[in-house]
Amino acid sequence: MDQTESYPVQLYIYDMSRGMARQLSPVMLGRQLDGIWHTAIVIHGKEFFFVGQGINNCPPGSTPLGQPGSVVDLGSTEVSAELFMEYLMSLAVSTYGRDTYNLFEHNCNTFSDEVAQFLTGKKIPSYITDLPSDVLSTPFGQILRPLLDSIVVNPGGSNITGQR
Amino acid sequence: MTRKLTPDPSCSIGGVKMADQGAADPGNNNNNKPEEAEGTIIKVTVKTPKDKEEIAIAEDASVTQFKEEISRRFKAKQDQLVLIFAGKILKDGDSLSQHGIKDGLTVHLVIKTAQKAGDGGSTSASSSTSTQAGNSPASSPGINPSSSAGSTGTDAPNTQTPNILTGFGDLAGLSGMGMGSANFMELQQQMQRQLMSNPEMLSQIMENPLVQNMMSNPDLMRQMIMANPQMQTLMERNPEISHMLNNPELMRQTMELARNPAMMQEMMRNQDRALSNLESIPGGYNALRRMYTDIQEPMFSAAREQFGNNPFSALGGNSESGAQPSRTENREPLPNPWGPQNSSNPSESGGATTGSTSTPGGTNPSVSNPLGINAGSLGNGMFNSPGMQSLMQQISENPQLMQNMLSAPYMRSMMQSLSQNPELASQVLMNNPLFAGNPQLQDQFRSQLPIFLQQMQNPEAMGVMTNPRAMQALMQIQQGLQTLQTEAPGLMPSLMTGGLPGGGPGGVPGGGPGGVPGGVPGGVPGGGLPTDNPASSPGGAGTNAAQQQLMQQMLQMFAGGGGGGGGGGGGLPQTPEVRFQSQLDQLSSMGFINPEANLQALIATGGDINAAIERLLGSQPS
Repeated sequence: MDQTESYPVQLYIYDMSRGMARQLSPVMLGRQLDGIWHTAIVIHGKEFFFVGQGINNCPPGSTPLGQPGSVVDLGSTEVSAELFMEYLMSLAVSTYGRDTYNLFEHNCNTFSDEVAQFLTGKKIPSYITDLPSDVLSTPFGQILRPLLDSIVVNPGGSNITGQR
Repeated sequence: MTRKLTPDPSCSIGGVKMADQGAADPGNNNNNKPEEAEGTIIKVTVKTPKDKEEIAIAEDASVTQFKEEISRRFKAKQDQLVLIFAGKILKDGDSLSQHGIKDGLTVHLVIKTAQKAGDGGSTSASSSTSTQAGNSPASSPGINPSSSAGSTGTDAPNTQTPNILTGFGDLAGLSGMGMGSANFMELQQQMQRQLMSNPEMLSQIMENPLVQNMMSNPDLMRQMIMANPQMQTLMERNPEISHMLNNPELMRQTMELARNPAMMQEMMRNQDRALSNLESIPGGYNALRRMYTDIQEPMFSAAREQFGNNPFSALGGNSESGAQPSRTENREPLPNPWGPQNSSNPSESGGATTGSTSTPGGTNPSVSNPLGINAGSLGNGMFNSPGMQSLMQQISENPQLMQNMLSAPYMRSMMQSLSQNPELASQVLMNNPLFAGNPQLQDQFRSQLPIFLQQMQNPEAMGVMTNPRAMQALMQIQQGLQTLQTEAPGLMPSLMTGGLPGGGPGGVPGGGPGGVPGGVPGGVPGGGLPTDNPASSPGGAGTNAAQQQLMQQMLQMFAGGGGGGGGGGGGLPQTPEVRFQSQLDQLSSMGFINPEANLQALIATGGDINAAIERLLGSQPS
């Protein structure tokens, strides 16, 4: 374990509404939301994200969401690919397994945040992690909550555990 | 008691006692024993993927000491612990403060499950994934990356791990396929593309022992094959196929074959030879041709969807290629009689295919000359069949198909023998039911034969067949002719002579590939166009009862053939009961009195009575 290789870590941010949130949110929600954010961590040449199926990975930018709207450089980590996969596997059996996805409380951004902290010690930008609470703070969001809660996002990629 | 701080990496601040002892001394200075005023205790949160704990440790402790504490708390060996903070892996020789670990901060912990570091870890990880891949069904493509992971892995850990990750990614993706998520089709298509572009992959896949294991389980294979909707339609159309699938012996053999490409080729060659013997029997040629058009070609297209070109291209290229040349070659004369008109036609043709208008003019003389005018009308008519169109489209999209077909050694030898022996050729061709009802056609063909056969040897003709643009041009011509049909029906009856019989067999194989959904966009426009043809051609054929009959036959073939004749056979999709009516009758006359069971058995076996009987007998106690 004497390698001190360092791997760059990036955060891919996608707007799942493709700009519609920016336009419609003031009308619908009463507050400005610039996007419905989906994030993924890119490291070791792969993109990792948390979706309904569990933790998935894919080649960067190859989900149906296409290329990310923005990319944030989170720095670099010494965590090797192998170690990272071990870490993810444990996450996948503990807190980020299948069916643990919740659009508000435990979503892709939660995952990205946690992984980012694991890898680099940094959190992801707060506007992303604040999104659920932003939405819920609007009356409309409250009304829609039961519906939104049942939404499980599955934007592609494949489960890292090789099952499902 | 003051001591000088030694430049000992194990301590940076204060750590007097430690400096005293040199290297980190786990026995001392640990466990909340503030022996020195400087060694304050900090509470550090240690977070694993599963849970987190707060660990109190001296501020100036070393990583080793920290790990000791952690190993106690988490009940893991120190070797297994990997601590990460701020993106850095904490090494045993470091100290906490070196990394800036202070009170209240969180350090991440990964407890390694693999006992070995580096290589061992990655190989065990990849082998565990491979086993997972082996366990997940319906994921034969999923084996692909595990084979690549397996085959790549003996280098240094760093180069190894990206390969394994690739293995993980693709593997997981492909086994994710099985669950029918939205990505299913995409991934499958991607894999097919990959497979098709890299034939080696296929052999790699096949070599993988996991794949072989899976393939040696015929039930599993059958399940997989049946799960493919295209195969299902195929099986409904051709009960023989389902019977074949139900026969475990045959399946096993097929799997053996697929597994071993060399053996497969050998088998193909044997088959070719056997079939070539059949060919010389007048009746046998028909049987062969029918066999091909009814079974192999649709299978070929369906299989192409699933397996990529390789396993079946040989099938498509051999045996019934005998029928193919008579059809495909006949397309060649097509442009000739309409030569001067044809050059204007393509401009009117509604292009399902693209192509320059100059190309047809360019290909006309070279392609059609040897075959003469009359044969041209022959070819014309055949060309007009919707099935032909879709076939053409397919071919133009996939030059490989033509090449495979034409380059099959069987075919070449057959063509040679045909050309050398015009009598044989005429015999063969005359027995072709295409021409059976139409003496005019037969005569035409007979006269054209020598030239026609020569043409087959002509490498330029070969070139045309394999040239996708040429094929597209021919398609355009054909479309133009169709338009002509509707515009100038008076002109058409002379065409129809050659048209209908040609439409027959042309319809079936066209119906085959045209009928297979998905994956072949050509099939869709091909399927769309037929609505015009059967409608317009009956108009032209109104003058001839025999032709009408043929037309009906063609329509029925389309109905049997499915999508390609979707326009013509549109009214014919039937419920299983109706479809299997005759079989049901047979079964009940044999004494199987339970109609529901019969029907179910028939549905399960795709209408194959024998297999259905076996099923019924298997389920009934007596």
